Amino acid sequence: MDLLHHIFYGFSVGLQPENLLFCFVGVFLGTLVGVLPGIGPVGASSILLPATFRMSPISGTIMLAGIYYGAMYGGSTTSILVNIPGEAASVVTCLDGYQMAKQGRAGPALGIAAFGSFIAGTLGVVGLMLFAVPLSEFGLKFGAPEFFAVILLGLTLITYLARGSAIKALMMGAFGLILSCVGLDPIQASPRMTFNMMELWDGVGLIPVAMGLFGISEVVINIEKTPSTEILKTKIKNLFPTISDWMQSKGAILRGTVLGFFLGILPGSSPIISSFLSYSIEKKLSKHPERFGKGAIEGVAGPESANNSASSAGFIPLLTLGIPANAIMALIFAALLIHGMPPGPFLLKEHPDLFWGVVSSMYIGNVMLLILNLPLIPLWVQVLKIPNKILFPLILLFCIIGSYSLKNSIFDIVLMMIFGMFGYFLRKFDYEGAPLLLGFVLGPILEMNLRQSLILSKGSFSIFFARPISAVFISVAIILLTTSFIPHLVKVKGKYEALTKDD
Amino acid sequence: MNLRDQSSGLFWLGISIFVCIESIRSGIGAFHSPGSGFLPFWCGVILAVFSLILVTTSTLMKQWKGRITDLWKGTEWNKVIWVLFSLFLYPFVLPFVGYLIATFGLMIFLISIMGRSKVWIPGVSAFIIVLVTYVIFHLLLDVRLPTGILGF
Repeated sequence: MDLLHHIFYGFSVGLQPENLLFCFVGVFLGTLVGVLPGIGPVGASSILLPATFRMSPISGTIMLAGIYYGAMYGGSTTSILVNIPGEAASVVTCLDGYQMAKQGRAGPALGIAAFGSFIAGTLGVVGLMLFAVPLSEFGLKFGAPEFFAVILLGLTLITYLARGSAIKALMMGAFGLILSCVGLDPIQASPRMTFNMMELWDGVGLIPVAMGLFGISEVVINIEKTPSTEILKTKIKNLFPTISDWMQSKGAILRGTVLGFFLGILPGSSPIISSFLSYSIEKKLSKHPERFGKGAIEGVAGPESANNSASSAGFIPLLTLGIPANAIMALIFAALLIHGMPPGPFLLKEHPDLFWGVVSSMYIGNVMLLILNLPLIPLWVQVLKIPNKILFPLILLFCIIGSYSLKNSIFDIVLMMIFGMFGYFLRKFDYEGAPLLLGFVLGPILEMNLRQSLILSKGSFSIFFARPISAVFISVAIILLTTSFIPHLVKVKGKYEALTKDD
Repeated sequence: MNLRDQSSGLFWLGISIFVCIESIRSGIGAFHSPGSGFLPFWCGVILAVFSLILVTTSTLMKQWKGRITDLWKGTEWNKVIWVLFSLFLYPFVLPFVGYLIATFGLMIFLISIMGRSKVWIPGVSAFIIVLVTYVIFHLLLDVRLPTGILGF
């Protein structure tokens, strides 16, 4: 009964004209960003983050959320029509989606991607509602040691689930934590690593870091490639999948939804991992796995459902425990912090309008996206025709304006350029930016809770193991770290033995 | 030997040593009373450890792979240099000539080097971009864009 009351309350907030407008703006921009290969939802959110400071926190969060799950919808369009993923979570959709398009079945591919995303996104929001309240109440039992432990687990999980090297991901997480320490010490107010620059007393800004790492560097990486974005010349018809398509896809959609949801809750996870895993599972479970990669509709339905469900589930750790699950959640986290509404167990109690308003807007947003994505596909196809030589400079300019607009500071533009170049080299040397951003955003909370815990325990680390909740989280973090390094150490030992044997 | 991982590992090792030194200057404190440099110091140590692991594993690899120059093989790296150069120059020019002129110049340059086009396209496109962004951000969203010594 309470839940029903909360849902109605949420809709009373979400259906306010201002919030409806920003929900639409968010999902429209998200779809646009998802369609365009040059920029992803993190880059777009970092560009629009300063704009949210002029809105109410609810509207700003609704818009940023809309960009996030909207990009999951839009990414499938380019994957299917151009064989280039619009954003990273749609990489897998290229494998079968483009093949379906080549066989004259672009319509059903786009249709099942949209419907699957809608079903998964909606069920994901239902899960969010059901899990959020008990998890939030559980979070009220947290003290400084528990918060430290859960953040440590989140940072560890990023590395465990990193696409590339776990060591490199851990290094990025550590560097992100170091970067978060630049500026005045929050407890003693003494400057740290400011190099006598007044501009760094407030620390390194989130916007220049995020825009540089994800906006500027992504554009620069795309500039050095010479992509051939030839849009498949095929008539897009019959957007509504046939009954046979539904029968083939229904299992994939449901499995993808559940998988994406539970993976999405984990701090450190991302829709990319959900979509990859969903594809692997569908291929394994299929009676005809040889069809995959040649136009199997389950290869589109499963991953697209998984990534949408994961995007909804990602809000659970953010809003209930204050732990961002991935880079975009970190940006929403920072936006709420700046608005004076720190996400965490108290958010539900102190700002129920924000929480339930955002949840209801996700229902509304999913409906808008279904409407936007199907009839507007010809529009998105036209958008894809915008030449990169216009699109890329435009994105760079938006980054510059966004970075400058926060404090009217030229220094922030310079900082963004530095991080842009840094992000470019990180990508070239196979380092991921997401762990760095997460470490950067979580660093201040981690430090505060660590220092408070050590002061409380008079310097003893046993405080983290004496309390059951933090003991569990820390033990899981240690196990994950160890298991991710054992194969590495075995490899090193083997190589060393091989070398010494040769000698 | 993986030269890319080796060189990047050494880079991060240098960064971690620097961070540790700076943290000691800030004051690490004690475990019962952590100082300003406590977290950055231990993060620097963690970074150093992982850097050493990366350098070691990449050195022990039997096959030579991962030349640094291979990263730019088959890419239009010269475009990247020009783009980065212009982006770094822009914030230094901006306070002097103002948003309109600096951005117009930047857009013409970027559009021109991104790809071949007719002579008038970069100029017209840059003009439209500057005008539209000025209207949206400065006039509608009230973002105070720099005016420069010319007053606009």
